[in-house]
Parts: sequence; C-alpha cells; structure tokens
Amino acid sequence: MLSSLPDAIAILLSFEGLVVLVLGTVLGIILGAMPGIGSTVAVAIVLPFTLTMSQAPAILLLLAVYAGSVYGGSIAAILINTPGTPQSAATCLDGYPMAQRGEAGLALGWATVASVVGGLISAVVLIFAAPQLASVALEFGPIETFALILLGMTCIVSVSTGSVVKGLLAGMIGIFLSTVGGDPILGEMRFTFGNWQLFAGFNLLAVVIGVFALSEVFMRASVHISKVSELVAFNGIVLPSRAMWRGRLRNLSKSVVIGNLIGVLPGTGAATAAFISYAEGRRSSPNRAGFGKGEPDGIVSSEAANNAVTGGALVPTMALGIPGDAITAVMLATLTLHGITPGPKLVEDNPTLIAAIFTGFFIINLLLLPLGMLLSRVAAPILRVREAFMMTAIVILCAVGIYFVRGNPFDLLVMGGAGVVGFLLRRQGVPMAPLVIGMVLGPTLELTLRQGLILTDGNFLAFFTGHPIALVLALAACVALMLPVWRALRARSTA
Amino acid sequence: MPGRPAANLKDDLMTRIANERVVVQLGLLIVALALYASTFAQSFSSSDLAQSPMFFPRIILALWIGLAVISLVQSARADDQAQPIASWLRIGVVLVATLVYVNLIGSEGFFLPSVVFALICLSAFGIRHPLFVPVFAIAVPGTLVLLFNHALGMPLPTSRFTYLF
Repeated sequence: MLSSLPDAIAILLSFEGLVVLVLGTVLGIILGAMPGIGSTVAVAIVLPFTLTMSQAPAILLLLAVYAGSVYGGSIAAILINTPGTPQSAATCLDGYPMAQRGEAGLALGWATVASVVGGLISAVVLIFAAPQLASVALEFGPIETFALILLGMTCIVSVSTGSVVKGLLAGMIGIFLSTVGGDPILGEMRFTFGNWQLFAGFNLLAVVIGVFALSEVFMRASVHISKVSELVAFNGIVLPSRAMWRGRLRNLSKSVVIGNLIGVLPGTGAATAAFISYAEGRRSSPNRAGFGKGEPDGIVSSEAANNAVTGGALVPTMALGIPGDAITAVMLATLTLHGITPGPKLVEDNPTLIAAIFTGFFIINLLLLPLGMLLSRVAAPILRVREAFMMTAIVILCAVGIYFVRGNPFDLLVMGGAGVVGFLLRRQGVPMAPLVIGMVLGPTLELTLRQGLILTDGNFLAFFTGHPIALVLALAACVALMLPVWRALRARSTA
Repeated sequence: MPGRPAANLKDDLMTRIANERVVVQLGLLIVALALYASTFAQSFSSSDLAQSPMFFPRIILALWIGLAVISLVQSARADDQAQPIASWLRIGVVLVATLVYVNLIGSEGFFLPSVVFALICLSAFGIRHPLFVPVFAIAVPGTLVLLFNHALGMPLPTSRFTYLF
C-alpha cells in the first residue's frame, strides 16, 4: 500500500479531491448538527450524488460526511440539549449544563479537540490494522468467505435494537430482496413476476434511502412536531488551553482506545462506545464528582470515543468486506456501484484507492478542527430552522438523488415503496440496519454458498470438516448468535 | 381468569389480535408464504437442487416464515402497541403526497410536482405562512433545476409544457 501513496496523494490534492474533502466535511457537520437527520440519513442523502464521481472521491465524500456528521451531532447536543446524532447523546449530559453556565464556546472547544484526536488516532489504527487483517483473509476461498460472511451476518444481532427476532426478520427480508432479479450463477430470472424493471433487481440505493431517509420523514410526520429549541448564548468556539488539559489526558487516551476497540467490533456502534466511555470516565476520572454538572471530562469521554469509532468501524469493512453498521453497509454498496467488489481482496486489488481512502480519512479528521470552528457559528442558527422545512427538503433531495442513479423513474417508485414499508416496520420496532446489511451481504452469501457446494459435490458438512478456518468462523458465528439468547435467559432466571 | 366477565375477556382478546403490530406482522407472514409458494410455480433449467435458482431463496424464505411466526406470537402475547399516531390526517397527507409525487416526476417533470408537493407537505406540517411557504416551495426545486439542468448539465425530468423546467 505504501508504494501507492504518491498516486493516492495526487488524487487527494487534485481539485476534485480537495473539493470533496472540504465539501463533505462541511455538509457532514451541518447535517449532523440538525436533530433528526443523523449520520445514516446524512450519508443516504449525499450518496446518489457520488455516482457521477470517480471511485476515490465518491468514497471520500461519504467518509467526510460520516466523520463530519458524528462531530456535528455535538453542536446540537451542547447548544440545544438535543443530540444531532444518537452517538452524541452522552455529550448532552455535560455539554448542555456547561453551555447553560455561559461556557457554550468552551464546551464546543472540548468537544472539537476530543473529536479531532479521537478521529485522527482511529485513522492511524485503520491505516495499520486493515492491511494486516486483509492479508490474513487473502488465503480465503469461497467456503471460508461464506463462513466469514455468515459471521458478518451475526452483527445483525448486535444492531437489532429492541428485539433480536425482529432484527433477524429484517435481515432475512434484506437478503430476500437481494435475490430478486438474475440468478448469480445461471442468470435465470427470479421473483420478477414478468416485470422487466426488476430484471436487474431492486436498486440498493433506492431501498436504502427509502428505509432510512424517507421513513424518517414519515416517522416525524406521525409524532408531535417539536417546537424550535431555545439556543444558549454562543459566540464561537473557545479552544481549551494547555493548562486546562492537565490531568485530563489519561481520560482522553482511554476514551480513544475504547472507541477504537468498540468500532472494530461489528454492530456495536458509536452511541454504545460513547456511553461506555462516559461510564468509564465517570468511574475513573479525578473529576468524576462533576460529571453530569458540566464537567469537561464528560464531554471528552463521549466525543473522543464516538469519533474514534469511525476509523475502527472501517477496519472490518475495508479489510474483510463486512459492514459493522448501516453506514458502513452503505459505503460497501457504493463500492459495488463503482464496480469494486468488497471483500478480502479489496486492499490487494485496489492499493491506490485504499491508500487514498485511508490518507483522505486522516485529512478529513484534521479538517474537523478548522471547519468545526468556522461552521459552528453557521450551524447554530440552522438549529432554529423548523423541522417541517427540513423534512420537505429531504424528500425533494432524495427524489433528485435517486433519479440520478440510473435516470429511471421506476427507482423513485421503489424508494417511495421502501419508505412506506420502512415506516410501517419501524413503527412495529423492526430495525432497518439489518435489512440493509442483509441486502448488501446477501449476494456474496448466496454466491459463495453455491460455489462451495460445487466444490464439495453438494456436501454442506464438508464446508467445515475439510476447512478449519471456515469451522472456526462458523463456530464464532454460532457463539455470536447464541450469546444474546444466553444473556436473555440468564437475565430472566436471575430476575 | 374466573373473576372477569366474558365480554371483557373478548375485548381483551380482540385488542391483542387486532392491533397494528399483529396486523403488520401477519402481513409479513402472508407475503413470505405467498413468495415461498411462488418458488414452486416456476421451472428452471438446472435439475440439481443445490444449483437451482430457487435453492437459496427457499432457505431464506423458510427462515423469514419461522421468524415472522415467532415475532407474531411474541407481539400477540406481549400485547405491545405501536407508538400512537399524533395526527392521522398529517401522516396520511404526507404519505399520499410523497407517493403521488415520486410517481409524477417521471411524467410531469421535476419542478412542478416538487412545488406542489412542498406546498402540500408544509401545510400538512402546520406551516401556513403566506410568504415563507410559497417562497420555499418555489426556491428549493427552482435552485435544484438551475443547478442540475443549467449549471451542471445533468438534466432533471422536464415538464410537458416547457423544456426549461
């Protein structure tokens, strides 16, 4: 990968590369700051516009929006006590009390520095860990890849908030949707019911945008509309001085480590990392008495961890082709749309692209500091925009974006249908991230299963008897599936 | 429950069965069953079971059916309800307007349906400011048309009245 670094830097320093890095980070911060939009919807809104770009700028734009939105969520959390993104919920606990004391600028300063440090270190982890992991996975044949995808599918359990059964159900619906259209080996049509528009299958982006962005609009329309929140006094970010950091660096380091470790685990997510890190900070910080009353260590714990997750989550995504959550699933889908096959060979086959993505991710995290300071003043008044205007604009932007994917009005209908179905399912507590993960991983799961069956003459047991790596991965998948069931049974027996 | 009147028990049973969660999950189960049944209605070139195009979908649909049954039973037993709708009129208008809007873009162009959709959607959300609503409804789609059709050269669908928008 190092030999591709000069080419990667040339991509990043091109006009398109620079525009994408800055514009993506700006958009991410602004969209992340808007309560109700969140990282997934922000990435979903921007995604169709990447289709006219070349491979590296397209992925970099999504990464910039992702990293920017995670940081942007802290602006709303601190200024109006409403997290812009779920991962900023822990930031509210100390950020808003600090802002109420008249220190909103300083609170955002702590959040900005912690976010930048968390993001930068996670970028370094990504640069070193992903190629190592990918080199191990290079030995994998179809059977090992099948077992690996099976293991990746178990992250559906961890992203299933509320009910594991409903999460698995959504995952199955997602895998089924991926089977509509041409069969991957024989090319024969399945579940098209004579409709030629379905011969190429459902457009993944139309489904993703429908179930995330459009269903969010419907969800908002179905509940009481929130009033415009009152802003606390804010005159721009004030960075904490070096003296103020004394005694807090240990907490910062610990939060970054927690964020990275949790990020690498598929399906755990930035919100979990932020709360675990906050709880650890509250337990071990020398300033723990002030937690919940506007203590900077509380903001640092949450923000360093949630930004550190971004790089960690990209490790299994880039090295193995296994998405850990909905956002990384969308990124894998974007790679596919640009003609790149995600999986263990991604790093080996596309060294320049991967070097550009990793280096670009580092630069994006560096950009968070100046752009965060600049944009917080712009983002603050945006927090006062009425939700109705945002929701209407989201629908119009989604329609434009989806139309540009293939120029096919049928995709707009798919998006509308996915939005309605997503709304109905979300109201019943069915999570949407497993559906997207199922739809992204489904084709590879089917292809490797059938290739494996050809290799073993239709003997499924031979997948594991003659392939020790596949056996270990399959056992790990069983453990990952059974663990929540065992925990639930244990909790019930102790209750 | 020996102390409870039969009418109350019947009402309780009806509430459990006829709530939104149970109806939607029953719908999911019926869809899965219908799709599973449809896999036997088609014929394919491969006679090998594992290499049949329906081999993998049947496994997935069987799992879908199993999980839908478990979820349905869980919902009926737990008597859990979906979050109440604050305004049926608002969600109804937004849902129908969105579906009609995405359907009309292909035939009527992007600009005109977008303006009408924005007017309806903002009104449904309770925004009725005589200046802000029309300005927003024209400005947002208008900016997008100017940007894509005329600046970037990536035309959005145009209406039957003029090639300009």
